[in-house]
Amino acid sequence: MNNALPAVLCVLLGIACACGLESSQVSVSKTDRIEVQYWEKWTGEEMEAMKRIVDKFNASQSEIHVKYLSVSGIADKTLLATSGGTPPDIAGLWGDQVVQFVDLNALTDLSDLAKDAGVVEENYIPAYWSICSAYGRLYALPTSPGSGALYVNRQLVPPQYASPETFPKTISEFNKFAEQTDRRDPSGKLLVASFMPRDGWGLWNMPYVFGDGFLQDGQINVNGKDDLEAWTWVKSFTDRYGVTETKSFRSGFGNYSSPQNPFLSGKLATYADGPWFSNYIRMFKPSMDWFAVPFPYPDNHPELAGFSTMNLNTLVIPKGAKHAREAFRFLAFVQEQKNMEQLCMDQQCNSPLSNSSQKFLTSHPNKAIALFDKLAKSSRAVPPVPLGIRAQIGSEVGNAVDQMELGELTPQAALDQAQSRLVAMWAKYQQQVLGK
Amino acid sequence: MRSNRQNVIGLLFASPWILGMAIFLFYPVISSLYFSFTSYSILKPPVWIGLSNYQELMQDEIFLKALSNTLIICAASVPLTTALAICLALLLNTKRKGISLYRTLFYIPSLVPTVALAVLWLWIFNGQYGLLNEGLSKFGIKAVPWLTDPSWAKATLIMISMWGCGNAMVIYLAGLQDVPQSLYEAGELDGASAWQKTKSITLPMISPVIQFNVIMGIIGSLQTFALPFVMFPGGQPARSTYVVAMYLYDNAFLYQRMGYASAMGWVLFLATMVLSWISLRLGDRHVHYGGGA
Amino acid sequence: MLSKQQKILLTKALQLGALLFLAFLFALPLVWMVVTSLKPLDETMTSPPKWIPDRIQVSNYSDAVTYGSKELGYIPFLHYAQNSVLLAILCITGSVISNSLVGYAFGCLDWKGKRWLFALTLATMMVPGPILIVPLYKLFRDFGWIGTFRPLWVPTFFGSAFNIFLLRQFFMAIPKELSEAAVLDGASPFGVFLKVIIPLAKPALTVVAVFTFLWSWNDFLGPLLYLTDQRNFTVSLGLQAFQNQHTGTPWNLLMAASLMVIAPVIVVYFVAQKAFVQGISTTGLK
Repeated sequence: MNNALPAVLCVLLGIACACGLESSQVSVSKTDRIEVQYWEKWTGEEMEAMKRIVDKFNASQSEIHVKYLSVSGIADKTLLATSGGTPPDIAGLWGDQVVQFVDLNALTDLSDLAKDAGVVEENYIPAYWSICSAYGRLYALPTSPGSGALYVNRQLVPPQYASPETFPKTISEFNKFAEQTDRRDPSGKLLVASFMPRDGWGLWNMPYVFGDGFLQDGQINVNGKDDLEAWTWVKSFTDRYGVTETKSFRSGFGNYSSPQNPFLSGKLATYADGPWFSNYIRMFKPSMDWFAVPFPYPDNHPELAGFSTMNLNTLVIPKGAKHAREAFRFLAFVQEQKNMEQLCMDQQCNSPLSNSSQKFLTSHPNKAIALFDKLAKSSRAVPPVPLGIRAQIGSEVGNAVDQMELGELTPQAALDQAQSRLVAMWAKYQQQVLGK
Repeated sequence: MRSNRQNVIGLLFASPWILGMAIFLFYPVISSLYFSFTSYSILKPPVWIGLSNYQELMQDEIFLKALSNTLIICAASVPLTTALAICLALLLNTKRKGISLYRTLFYIPSLVPTVALAVLWLWIFNGQYGLLNEGLSKFGIKAVPWLTDPSWAKATLIMISMWGCGNAMVIYLAGLQDVPQSLYEAGELDGASAWQKTKSITLPMISPVIQFNVIMGIIGSLQTFALPFVMFPGGQPARSTYVVAMYLYDNAFLYQRMGYASAMGWVLFLATMVLSWISLRLGDRHVHYGGGA
Repeated sequence: MLSKQQKILLTKALQLGALLFLAFLFALPLVWMVVTSLKPLDETMTSPPKWIPDRIQVSNYSDAVTYGSKELGYIPFLHYAQNSVLLAILCITGSVISNSLVGYAFGCLDWKGKRWLFALTLATMMVPGPILIVPLYKLFRDFGWIGTFRPLWVPTFFGSAFNIFLLRQFFMAIPKELSEAAVLDGASPFGVFLKVIIPLAKPALTVVAVFTFLWSWNDFLGPLLYLTDQRNFTVSLGLQAFQNQHTGTPWNLLMAASLMVIAPVIVVYFVAQKAFVQGISTTGLK
């Protein structure tokens, strides 16, 4: 029988492990409350800010318990989980992903739930409400939004530019400023760069600075005059430093939320980002003397001044969520003015509500909050592309920019190629995904 | 003659596999073929579109770029890895002191989980802080943009695959054990040098092993996914490291175009078959069976 | 011209030189991993790279283990390790049991259809994984297994072509007289399997076990697709979760974590090495 012993042990061990694995899976909550799974992208202080609201909600009633889980790569994971049939009840997506998810039939329609709870369009800044809607229905609700401005490190810029009033306002003024601000060591290696288009709020926004961005009259347009101007300007930075030197310089940048962030470690003199960035300055480089200005606008086009990105963090209820009604009660709770403003203040964002309270504007930790708020309400606050293939647009344009900078193609050629591919992709998308 | 009882017993013992093949292989293969003719996004039912996916693939510049990337990496890494694995096996096929330590050392890289590997190499190949550029600078070679230049990025992937040749090396080692000592002794008597012995005795005698490893290597290389996925998200820079498996994954799970992804899988299958067949045909001219008699 | 003696010495010296050089190249990244795992974060980003850190931070290892525990409310690394270990044991059990049964069928028994079924088995090794990704995903979704571990271990209880092939070769090499003697003594086919074949097959079974362990421990795509809750991640996937998009990657902690992940694998390989090599050579993989 001793021959069979190892085999029996194996089988027992296997059964033990199977039991171990099965029970270690997402366990049912031990309380008798309904547990609502909430996946969110935030960590650190931003997470703490939302957790405070979650705790407040959990304490305010006794039927529902919201469980906050920090998830990296949240859009992909939510999509995978939803298509796998096991979505979280609430997911914290970025606003620009809403349309894509709606097209894929991955989100629950919130219109009726919102109406019943008194959450209405009038309470919000129009651009943010539009980000949360698609095809006339509501699919998401805002949490913390962000507009965008240019942060400037006073210690790294020449004195004549070192204040919000004297800082360059147009692109050509900015170019002059850049030449005087770049600093190299004797061997030509870059020490300080005035600006790196790829860092901060990212390449995405450049075409909007110069005009209509990726869309024109509702049609995809990535190779228009404004796009060419935008990318030529972006390329001018790489050209000035040299492709290899730029790459080498940028490969030494540390992580966004760390003291090695290029702006915080003194490698970049300016940095375009949202209102929350002041938080990171405070955490990692409190001694920095900084101010914020609107991003420069192209010469002879004052109507394009005051451009701002419109990011929005949202809450959605994926299709197939087990506790959709309960989840919505939390969403509605977050939308209440006092909770929303507390969240936005703690995360150092502006507020998506159309009427901000005095308290919010005066006690906000970001000293430049008035600027960010103004930019969010301006006519040049552009919401992200409301198309389901937004991700593909980003990667095609990003690819085109790579090719431009490497010299594989001329800017116009690279953009034309991206345009023709995207038009074909969009046609196919409409046909196959939207069933047109 | 086999009795009925024997048939039943045989089938019973083989039943787990027969069931497994049916559920986890045949059914998915047939579904995959079906999906490849549909537009399908799992949260909506599939819609028949005929050959549309395949037609689109043939004109899809991104797919063609991914395919060429994959083929280039395969064409470079398989021969290089084979050569390295054979060299290592030859070097380790002695009774030198501490040989088992060496053997373990060369095998360890192939044990490292892909993500850990990706992180390690991202670190070593870093343009500014990387170990490799630091070492090269000691020889007066200027910093190479390993991760940010399209051609070098591919070279990086190839080099990493060579570092993981441990599996192949072990199999070659085993194969070398079976080369009869008598053949070497005969070679010695004829005054053959070490290189001549290797060329005329060793290589032909292990040629079936080489053929096996080359085909396995081709198949594996064409399907490579995890390392580029973690090291070069999106196939950056400029899609130079975008391999077919990554594009397939993106289409299936990010763009939710599962039909298109299925079609891509079948095209990859065809490419694998073609390359394996070519390798077999070419090999048969050189492979010497009947070794180890 | 060199004498024969000198030629032999030269060859040996060249061989040793090549061996040392390659060993150096292969070991270097591993050594670098160890060094980085002991550094504080700011020393990991120095140019030129530091081989000997100014401060040795052994706490990196405990920090790596508890990384993210504040946000997540539990210690992720321990969870990942536990998941990986349980999963690996389960897969090894399933693999050894099912593959030995099927290998026995092909290697020792005689039955109708054996030949062409075996040819079919070999052919399945050629099916590239990418074809199966989408339909397997849908299959597991229909079973309701997405988000659980089942897609990762249940299939191992049904055998795998590679291991079946391996064991079949090995079983075929066992002399028939032994099994025949057992039959004469009145043993059932299962008895022969258990009492005669299995004890003799230990080296080959070790090979199957080791290969299965390696495959399961390092599997990335499977966990990526089928595990949706971070608490269920395995180490191979969990390491990637370290690379938080927002706060970025703490290289030193990641190296420490990676080394901890590699360690069991190296131990298993070292311990099983003799049986492993013996097993491969006698299964006629050549």
